[in-house]
Amino acid sequence: MSSKPATAAIALDPLEPVPVLVGRPDDRALTESLVKPLYAPMTRGWKMLVTALAAGMGFWLLSLATTLVVGIGAWGNNIPVAWAFDITTFVWWIGIGHAGTLISAILLLFQQKWRTSINRFAEAMTLFAVAMAGVYPIIHLGRPWFFWWLMPYPSTTQLWPNFKSALPWDVFAISTYATVSFLFWFMGLIPDLATLRDTAPTRLKRTIYGIFAFGWRGSARHWQHYRIGYLLMAGLGTPLVVSVHTIVSFDFAISQLPGWHTTIFPPYFVAGAIFSGFAMVLTLMIPARKVLGIEHVITMKHLDNMAKVVLATGLMVSYGYAMEHFMAWYGGNKYEAFAFLNRWNGPYAAIWYVQLVCNVLVPQLFWFPSMRRNLVVLFVASILVNVGMWIERFTIIAVSLTRDFIPSSWAMYTPTWVDWGLLFGSMCTFGMLFLLFLRFLPVVPIAEVKELRRELDHHDAHAAGQPAHGEGTP
Amino acid sequence: MKRYVVAEFAAEAPLLDAARALRADGQTELDLHSPVPLHGSDEALGLKRSIIPRIALVAGLIGAVSGYVMQWYLVGIAWPINVGGRPPHSPPAFIPVTFELGILFAALTIFFGLFKLWGMPRLHHPVFEVEAFRSASVDGLWLSTAVAPEVAEPTAARLRSLGALQVEIVEDAS
Repeated sequence: MSSKPATAAIALDPLEPVPVLVGRPDDRALTESLVKPLYAPMTRGWKMLVTALAAGMGFWLLSLATTLVVGIGAWGNNIPVAWAFDITTFVWWIGIGHAGTLISAILLLFQQKWRTSINRFAEAMTLFAVAMAGVYPIIHLGRPWFFWWLMPYPSTTQLWPNFKSALPWDVFAISTYATVSFLFWFMGLIPDLATLRDTAPTRLKRTIYGIFAFGWRGSARHWQHYRIGYLLMAGLGTPLVVSVHTIVSFDFAISQLPGWHTTIFPPYFVAGAIFSGFAMVLTLMIPARKVLGIEHVITMKHLDNMAKVVLATGLMVSYGYAMEHFMAWYGGNKYEAFAFLNRWNGPYAAIWYVQLVCNVLVPQLFWFPSMRRNLVVLFVASILVNVGMWIERFTIIAVSLTRDFIPSSWAMYTPTWVDWGLLFGSMCTFGMLFLLFLRFLPVVPIAEVKELRRELDHHDAHAAGQPAHGEGTP
Repeated sequence: MKRYVVAEFAAEAPLLDAARALRADGQTELDLHSPVPLHGSDEALGLKRSIIPRIALVAGLIGAVSGYVMQWYLVGIAWPINVGGRPPHSPPAFIPVTFELGILFAALTIFFGLFKLWGMPRLHHPVFEVEAFRSASVDGLWLSTAVAPEVAEPTAARLRSLGALQVEIVEDAS
């Protein structure tokens, strides 16, 4: 663009006032800053946190063991409330996972530069969230040791899964999602594992990272296939992530229960999933970027953009609430209308108001740039959003079940200590997995950030009206 | 026994120029090594388009078709169950699993297909014999070429004349 007037050089893009990469460190400086936390000795804080989370994980294992030994009777579930904390927490975790795939796959296809530095982090969150989610449907089976009956294997009974039910769809959706998320994440890791192999200070670390790098040598012949394969994985991940929460919502939408039986569920669930997932990325990232000293790579720009996504998806979720109420009234079905009145003035009304504050009011803060750039506000709001989203699923699932068509079949639901143990224990286990990830793997995709730097240099050279000289030349 | 000639370059432009020059000399086992994919490396090495998209498409179709046929056979023919009055063969109900299996097959094929195309896992490769080659995953730009033993020295000299910072010759022990 040599015809561009030279004055363009001065005008910065008004839409990008904060950089996605602070400074323009060269490849070596960038690598060193990103691998440093992996080779530093474990800090006291890290060890204390791991110990605390290990205690929570113990509580989780105890709750799991109780469930296995005693059975579902150890939970507060009853008839009619056959689905309660278990499925609520399952949907909540799966939803959280969705933000990771959105960042790594959908934003890649949209060529969003800010996605680069946070995609590894977000995808790791996806993997651990899906791992946590996957536990619940299995332990809810009653006899979890027969979980493989869900798969269409050639059994001697010649009975097969009922593919006309949404629950076997879930089995395929969740297992495909977990597999594809792992493959995509691992593919992105390979070049970075090679970097770790080549920079690790001890022989043991070099060997371990070297094994998992599988002999990557940065070959141009390999990069050629890699880039196409990575893009295709993103292309597959994009419809996949939308399909997963859609199918999860079918578990409810195709039943006839008032409060479940509605066609708005698929998009409304997907929006809610991304809403809570982005909030979780914020919750984890705000402390992590500080502790790991990677604020030059994960900048305020990233947090600001994520807050905007939280606002946008929060508005979609609010629209979903409004539309559900509108349809309950406009549809003229008295059971449906009752289910929604029951949210406002039924026995569980208190948590409904908490849900509205967390999911409808709190995101409105992010209309203001000063709020989007205030770490304390972001952190607290992100936690509130996740509290709100957990309550939303509880309201939809359990509160709808407590009062269905016939008052004689109504029953209240109260969780037991096992229910609470499974909920808080799974958070601790998730946190534990995440801490191990922060400790042993590069949180920021090193190779991709190097590419990002080249793109930014190239972009600047263009903006300055100069021909881009050999990209990547130091 | 082949020799690997491994050379480091200071910048991308001379690296790609050197690759083009060696290719013009008739070298076929040329490769470049860099921490990020380089613009123009496909053209410099004369690489053909990757076959990954095609095998992914085929695998995805196989997954989707076999997923659909599996459901049709299992709940439509082998053991028909009447659920909510839906016919044994209910295409709308079969879509989710069909879709998921299409994605699953395509993704697994991309992942393992890449490893096959890369010839990986291969933990040891002659280029790793060069200690300085460690920089290839950090900030170094390297060229490697496999040649017959008698051509190794002339190739090294040619690379030096093309501006290589350092050149090493490694014996291929495999």
